[in-house]
Amino acid sequence: MEPDELERFEAMMLPHLDAAYTLARYLTGDALDAEDVVQDAALRALKYFSGFRGADAEDGRAWFLAIVRNTARTARQRRRADRADTAFDEDQHSDALANEDPSVDLDRQETRERLQVAIEQLPDEFREVIVLREIQGLSYQEISEVTDAPVGTVMSRLSRARRRLQRLLVRGARPGERVQ
Amino acid sequence: MNETEFERRLGAAIREEMPPLRAPEELRRRVRAAIRGSAGGTRVVRTTRWLALAASVALVALGGVGGWQLAARRTAGSALADEVLASHVRSLMPGHLTDVPSSDQHTVKPWFNGKLDFSPPVADFSPQGFPLVGGRLDYVAGRPVAALVYGRRQHVINVLLWPATSRTDGPASRTRQGYHLLHATAGGYTYWVASDLSVPELRGFEDLLKAELIRSSR
Repeated sequence: MEPDELERFEAMMLPHLDAAYTLARYLTGDALDAEDVVQDAALRALKYFSGFRGADAEDGRAWFLAIVRNTARTARQRRRADRADTAFDEDQHSDALANEDPSVDLDRQETRERLQVAIEQLPDEFREVIVLREIQGLSYQEISEVTDAPVGTVMSRLSRARRRLQRLLVRGARPGERVQ
Repeated sequence: MNETEFERRLGAAIREEMPPLRAPEELRRRVRAAIRGSAGGTRVVRTTRWLALAASVALVALGGVGGWQLAARRTAGSALADEVLASHVRSLMPGHLTDVPSSDQHTVKPWFNGKLDFSPPVADFSPQGFPLVGGRLDYVAGRPVAALVYGRRQHVINVLLWPATSRTDGPASRTRQGYHLLHATAGGYTYWVASDLSVPELRGFEDLLKAELIRSSR
């Protein structure tokens, strides 16, 4: 690769390292796995950079995060290869409208802890939209690019993810508990 | 409260309580090196986990040869001291001291949730003159560990701790490059204390820490 092309790549990718790490951390659930994922994703991104059409670093965020996401998924699949995990199924995992009392007291001191636990318990497809939207502040369009799903799907998934979070928070979910 | 109101509050709570994470400096360095290496056609540096694994395999191999065991343990203890010292010095560089700056143990302790496979005991020793400054994640001894930061006047005290797996050998205290390192096992945790504070004062702090670790394990 030409030196100035390499510099262009770094200028596009490096500003998004925090975002990449955040996403990878939530998707893998492990700090070290997240680092490996980000490094692998950066190398993949370098490889595919010639196909990147964006003009500046802003454009690069969704593009790079999409690569991070796919790298994390591959890493996770490899991990789960010998475990009989059910694949995500929209119908199976979708909620009926939560009927529980939604008056969750979010002002409590342990809010952060409870949120963290609840987010970790979300199915992958819900967790990634919550992280991208609420923590990273991506637009629906950007999330659509990252997750390779139509904007409408992103919005409905986000809405279901929030309801699921609500239920987890109402029930005061504890670490290790899996909600079906 | 209707659903929209709940969603608004949920979003606000997440944004407030769960800021985006910061990529560790080590990762930044590694990614840059990997990119440069890859683009330049040189070999890519593999990750710390593999290095740690390779190191532990090497140590196991050493330990298997009877007479070498002690030497290997000493080497392990010494290498660990190097890691702790590096962690301490690194933490003193601007912006590296804490991931969660807080003097509130009830903020620092839950912050480690989901970041470590154990929940470290966190106590504030302000009344005894060692206020809690915050916490951060670190990586030593081939595993992620909790780093707790305390202050004493202008001095910084780093405590690295993780669940004890085996006896840590080597002298319980040593001094390197002007920093004092103390270590021991208490309450099921291995801990290392690093600071430029005078040894007697640091011993005083260690007593507090040890008592807290034992108390919290009951």
